[in-house]
Amino acid sequence: MKPIMKAITMFLAAIVIAGCTVKAVGDPNRPITINANVVVDIRGLKQTATNIEDMIAEGAVK
Amino acid sequence: MKKIYVLGLAVGLVILAVASVCFAADYDYKTMTPDIEKALKNRQSRYHQLQSLKQEGVVGENNKGYVTDLKNNAAAATLTAAENRDRRVLYEALAEQNKLGNTGLLEVQKAFADVQREKAGPGDMVQSSSGDWKKKS
Repeated sequence: MKPIMKAITMFLAAIVIAGCTVKAVGDPNRPITINANVVVDIRGLKQTATNIEDMIAEGAVK
Repeated sequence: MKKIYVLGLAVGLVILAVASVCFAADYDYKTMTPDIEKALKNRQSRYHQLQSLKQEGVVGENNKGYVTDLKNNAAAATLTAAENRDRRVLYEALAEQNKLGNTGLLEVQKAFADVQREKAGPGDMVQSSSGDWKKKS
């Protein structure tokens, strides 16, 4: 496998893994704190924002 | 062999792109609380007044999803303060109900700021993501 192919494969794998990483922090004598990555879908959020603003404009009191 | 590998990689990328479009996250208010309802109604009732102030250049949409009184006008300041309180209620509820994490509120504010910038009419004052104010053409 060429180095460039390896690099692309590693990059894609990193993207997939980064989206669902769960990291545990703590020691056996204390409660475990779990920090989970929350991936926010910006496009979905913008669509929601658009819908809410449309709804406000359409229902605006004259 | 090399061609098959490249083809496989290309197909994988296309699938990823299509999946990201088809499975866009659906954020919404899961529970319509009295606070959310009140904030929405308040915003609807002041919508036209706010639009007039925007067209006059007295009020602008800033890059954090809120409105700014640009001329130190007393009436506009009262209106923007009330509008921003209601927007904050809506943003916080959206971030909380969709479990968007620690940075959720910032992401919500940014998304709304982008939408407000896009929806602004010609002549409205808008703040770019870098912080510059300009009249939308």
